[in-house]
Amino acid sequence: MPAKELSCPCMDCKDAETVFTVRKRQLCSDCYKHFIAFKVHRRMEMYRPGKTQEVRPKVLLPLSLGVSSSVLLSIVEAQLQYQLAKPYGKIFFDLHVLVIDPSSINPSSASIDENYKVLLETFQLPTYTRLSIHDIFDYVPNMKEIICEYAGSQFADDSSLSNEDRLSAFRASLSTATSAADLDYVLLTRLVAAVAQKNGCQSVFWGDSDSRLAARALAGVSKGRGASMTWQVSDGMSPWGVRFEFLLRDLYKTELLQYASVSPELSDIVISDPPLSDNVLTKNLSIDELMIRYVQNQGAKYPGIMSNVARTANKLESSCLDGGASCALCGGPRGNVKGNTGVTATTQSGDSEGSRFCYGCMRSRPGLKC
Amino acid sequence: MAPTTCFNCKEARAVIIRPKNRHKLCRACFIEVFETEVHETIIGTNLFFPGERIAIGASGGKDSTVLAAVLKTLNERYNYGLDLCLLSIDEGIRGYRDDSLETVKRNAVQYDMPLTIVGYGELYGWTMDQVVEQIGKKGNCTYCGVFRRQALDRGAARLDIQHVVTGHNADDVAETVMMNLLRGDLPRLSRGTSIVTASGGSDIKRSKPLKYAYEKEIVLYAHHRQLDYFTTECIYSPEAFRGSARTLVKDLEKIRPSSILDIVKSGEDMAALVPRDPAAAEEENTGGCGSQNGRTSGGEMAAMEKQLTENETAEAHETEIQLPQKNTKNTIKNPKAVKSQTLGHCERCGYISSQRVCKACTLLEGLNRNRPKTAIEVGMEDEEGSSTLMRQMERTQLTNS
Repeated sequence: MPAKELSCPCMDCKDAETVFTVRKRQLCSDCYKHFIAFKVHRRMEMYRPGKTQEVRPKVLLPLSLGVSSSVLLSIVEAQLQYQLAKPYGKIFFDLHVLVIDPSSINPSSASIDENYKVLLETFQLPTYTRLSIHDIFDYVPNMKEIICEYAGSQFADDSSLSNEDRLSAFRASLSTATSAADLDYVLLTRLVAAVAQKNGCQSVFWGDSDSRLAARALAGVSKGRGASMTWQVSDGMSPWGVRFEFLLRDLYKTELLQYASVSPELSDIVISDPPLSDNVLTKNLSIDELMIRYVQNQGAKYPGIMSNVARTANKLESSCLDGGASCALCGGPRGNVKGNTGVTATTQSGDSEGSRFCYGCMRSRPGLKC
Repeated sequence: MAPTTCFNCKEARAVIIRPKNRHKLCRACFIEVFETEVHETIIGTNLFFPGERIAIGASGGKDSTVLAAVLKTLNERYNYGLDLCLLSIDEGIRGYRDDSLETVKRNAVQYDMPLTIVGYGELYGWTMDQVVEQIGKKGNCTYCGVFRRQALDRGAARLDIQHVVTGHNADDVAETVMMNLLRGDLPRLSRGTSIVTASGGSDIKRSKPLKYAYEKEIVLYAHHRQLDYFTTECIYSPEAFRGSARTLVKDLEKIRPSSILDIVKSGEDMAALVPRDPAAAEEENTGGCGSQNGRTSGGEMAAMEKQLTENETAEAHETEIQLPQKNTKNTIKNPKAVKSQTLGHCERCGYISSQRVCKACTLLEGLNRNRPKTAIEVGMEDEEGSSTLMRQMERTQLTNS
């Protein structure tokens, strides 16, 4: 039988038409998905059960219903299904998915009820929890006191209000876009870590793409949170005794978008990001937004350099952090990291002395205009 | 609207909004606050000891001029007991350095400090103008950076001084942190932020007392004290990574003015987290030109991008056979660490170097290889006057006879 006539056959299977070109390889959609998934599988290898392992670990996957985390869920779930389907199949770990309602963070986002329903039907292997960001008060019991102490006189807590209203009152007291975005991320991380602890998960699989990690590293450094990079960007132990893993660290956002575009099962789950508007004054952006834009713009020209940023941050050693006091709010180290002899950056800011909060958090405090 | 009163003294009229924290200050308070912060930096880091002789690396630009002025003031006010002098490097860039050196000469008189000028021409036999003529504008900052580092050390050695202070400010340090993050250079990230950098194992130490001072405040300080400084930047090529980092830092400052200090703080903390590498001593980022202090050609970002893409492709080819363990080790350890740097002396010039021949001598060798042509030109230039004279005399003799 004559071979199929293909104008541009896939480099791997040679049996289908090329759909995507990824890192100089022309691949059909199946091989493309395989290529992307392989990068995630490789990072999951460390969860392969050893001989001595008795209890199967549990992993938490926080899902924002954005492209990246949805693709991650799809890949991880498929891999678990594959492990199950093997004779005497055993999965490497149990998967728990946490969905935090985006409308509780950003009121303008649409309801996710439909998407959530489809999600439960599509991926049946994991267990699920759905929460709002203000549930942090239930999961982290002393969060109310921490927030009150942190916000100081700028914020009057009213205990008669619901969790939701109390949190929005606190968020309204933050004066700049940077502080608001910074604390949203802090609170989100705290909630995810607390849910992981409560559900007995040893690890959290974050769905941050390479581009996002680069932006986070640059933004974190710019906000004085350099020392927190060891768990905000690097794979490693977080301050809450749960490992943070970034399985998508080798993949660009554009590659994940392409993956989603050939995964019909995701189409009713994923909420697409609103496009970044062009005419915004730099002054009015938050630092996080600025960095996302920077990485996007520069990434178009220099994708390798941008991914190298995340890789560089991943090389920092968290072991040097052991033993120091940590911030009550974000969990990062307080004061100067051991061995850091630079005394005056901290002391010249004056206000972080003797407080329970770290330098980075003090910079985002309500009332601070700059 | 009534004029705002000073945030500090609550009396005088505020004329300055501090770039660092947007406090509104009067002229006198601003100058005092600025000086006090530098003083705190010096005291907090035990930067000097009484009786120490200090060479101020002076370019005539705003940073080094302010540094000289502040150090002189603080030395008198707090009795540091320092013996201060100015040390300038003449790179030999016409239209830039010759003018700025005039400024330094005036400063020496104004501050009553002795001035020493060390020239690339006398040290290396090459001025930067000649280097650029030879190699073009691309990549010449490498030469300038390497040469300057040695030149400052040699100048200090000539004066028998063990400590050189430079005018690097907070913006410079923040840029360096961002730049090294962008180019994935952990060793430099780890040493770029520290206030004192030992000079490659030699006895001469470098420090940057203005490390926490904002560039904008340095300009304001210079303006309000009516200091005499030179404003033109170096005329040769800017450097891609630093350029990109600089734009980023400027944007960040617009959003949150404190972010420059925040980056410095992050840089300091991250430096402590960089995996220890015994090699950390050699050639740290130097530069006194205040603008570029680059060591690379303009196309560096593109070049690095290309290399990273090639690595990526190569890695993609070999994944199947690579052992995962080995792989993780490779990513964690800095591949450069393999080249162990035992510090020795350059066998040609005796300067501290981890290589057999130091960087400056290597660069010089490359330059000198093509020298004959230039050498003759230089010779001509030097002797032009006398040879013309000789010819004239010959002619006179001929006519006489």
